[in-house]
Amino acid sequence: MVVLRAGLCPGLTEDMIQLLRANGIRTVVDFVSSDLEDVARKCSLSYKALVAVRRVLLAQFSAFPANGADLYEELKSSTAILPTGSPSLDQLLDSGLYTGEVTELMGAPGSGKTQVCLGIAASVSLGLKQHVLFLDSTGGFTASRLHQMLQARTEDEEEQAIPGRLRLCFVLQLEALQRIQVVRVFNIYELLSALQELRDRLSQQVVSSVGPLKVVLLDSVSAVIYPLLGGRQSEGLALMMQLSRELKTLAREFSLAVVVTNQVTRDSSSGPLKPALGRSWSFVPSTRVLLESKEATWDKATTQRAATLAKSPRQPTGIQVELDIG
Amino acid sequence: MQREVGTLPLAPALRARLAAAGFQTAQELLDTGPCGLSKEIGISREEALEALQVVRQECHGDAARTAGGSGATRKCTALELLEEEQTQGFIITFCSALDNILGGGVQLTKITEICGAPGVGKTQLCMQLAVDVQIPECFGGVAGEAVFIDTEGSFMVDRVVDIAAACVQHCHLIAEAQQEEDLRKALETFSLENILSHIYYFRCRDYTELLAQVYLLPEFLAEHSKVRLVVIDGIAFPFRHDFEDLSLRTRLLNGLAQQLIIIANDHRSAVVLTNQMTTRIGQSQSTLVPALGESWGHAATVRLIFHWDNSQRLATLYKSPSQKESTIAYHITSHGFRDVQPPAVTHSTEGPELNPRKRPRTEEEKQ
Repeated sequence: MVVLRAGLCPGLTEDMIQLLRANGIRTVVDFVSSDLEDVARKCSLSYKALVAVRRVLLAQFSAFPANGADLYEELKSSTAILPTGSPSLDQLLDSGLYTGEVTELMGAPGSGKTQVCLGIAASVSLGLKQHVLFLDSTGGFTASRLHQMLQARTEDEEEQAIPGRLRLCFVLQLEALQRIQVVRVFNIYELLSALQELRDRLSQQVVSSVGPLKVVLLDSVSAVIYPLLGGRQSEGLALMMQLSRELKTLAREFSLAVVVTNQVTRDSSSGPLKPALGRSWSFVPSTRVLLESKEATWDKATTQRAATLAKSPRQPTGIQVELDIG
Repeated sequence: MQREVGTLPLAPALRARLAAAGFQTAQELLDTGPCGLSKEIGISREEALEALQVVRQECHGDAARTAGGSGATRKCTALELLEEEQTQGFIITFCSALDNILGGGVQLTKITEICGAPGVGKTQLCMQLAVDVQIPECFGGVAGEAVFIDTEGSFMVDRVVDIAAACVQHCHLIAEAQQEEDLRKALETFSLENILSHIYYFRCRDYTELLAQVYLLPEFLAEHSKVRLVVIDGIAFPFRHDFEDLSLRTRLLNGLAQQLIIIANDHRSAVVLTNQMTTRIGQSQSTLVPALGESWGHAATVRLIFHWDNSQRLATLYKSPSQKESTIAYHITSHGFRDVQPPAVTHSTEGPELNPRKRPRTEEEKQ
């Protein structure tokens, strides 16, 4: 519903707008859906000018259909599949994270969501040499743990006896760390600002600061949305949908893989676990993975986790694999 | 690309009116101007001016950030964060096993939650940390002050005096053993009166007072910039009794968690919370789980669960972004929170235990 403004298109002047407004035509939708002969008579404007304006407005504001074959070609050339750094998780996700889509990881506290996100950041930054953006809303990002993961990946096959090899590993780790940018956002408006800023930078193609960005990780989305939902506040759902629209547009327009983490809640104290943020959010991610601890109580410590596929456009749901987040 | 009106921090009623009037992007609002705006949506000129002020601030903030200015966002690369973390200190707990599993001690800029049954030692650890945060840097501390927010009334000043005296004596012994000049100089300011005067104590009786206190905390911390520890002893207590609306409770707790993480981050201080335990009745058995529900579990970055194993106190690291899960044993003596003593010493102090859930009364001589 865009309001008609002078300068929106070449033929639209201020006087024209005043005349149209006097007759109840305020937005672009009103204009293109009204009968132009009628309008020309009532506002005493030239019919040809109105038709020209309508043509320009339609060209500017309407969507154009594309056929399936073109879409498929475009998808083949622009989609990439990114490895998550854990072969069993890749197998669960049908060989990795797809760009252009939003993937969600959900789990109880301590189930390993932040660890998997750090693993993805490490694998993409080190293995593919692409830039990563990590939006941290819980304060759980620990650079020393990321460094530990990078060390494990670069030094596992190398023999330390070869001179210079250790230094090369160190340089690789430093470069990988520099490609990961961390932004701390602690409420919804800061998050939306950060996403807007990212979009501005990507569309202006400022190469130096962003580089070839491929992954955006958001840990966690429920921490910023939870304080807004429920009660008599009605804008919580609207903001949540705004956020989902930003994330999906970013993923689709710039071919990014967006990964978000979510909490789980229970209906009652003994009910089954279900993802937080409700039904409206469940339509946003195209793939959902549930992470669980293998043990039922917290007495026994383990680094094994079970990942179950809860929603996927490509694989049957219910597949379960084991992950090691150690 | 323009900022959408829906993403700007305006009042919800105003936002609804703007959407009904057909405004979509921030640029349209700025172009219309305050008079046009007040006429279009039917608000007073002052309100229109205020709204445009907010919009202008947001848009300029975005532009400044895009151009490379730092603005107010907390943005950096992982490498810079790593360097920052390596120079950051930890608050030691005087129990080396606990410090080890935490990776050095209680971390600054993170929220640590301590859950446990009654009498297991949560308040003792909080009081120990309030003293330990003040240890001077040459002894390995962070030389900061502490804020103690008490909701249960379990803060005992004479116990803090005992803990502080033991800590000062420990530092004296180290200084004597090492014979260094700066250690002795630092000890001149590290005395009992000094320690007690740098613990700022607040008493909150219900959840409204607690929320108000946390809301006012950033201003207090701006004045007292040396504070490095904020303890909230008993975050569960005001929220557990007298609360009918559970969804309101979840919302308030989540908002509180976000405010605390902002405080921890901006003022580079550690936030320590204590939580109670509740019973979850399952299919065949019942287990003790931390209180306040599932969603509260995500609020803390690091979670420690204290529990009993016959008469031994154990601490389990349940959730941490950088350390593995593990369990250690600890001991509470008249000097405070300590490691478990080797078995040759403990068996002489074991007496008849009347109530295994309460701290045993050890009869050690005060030095």
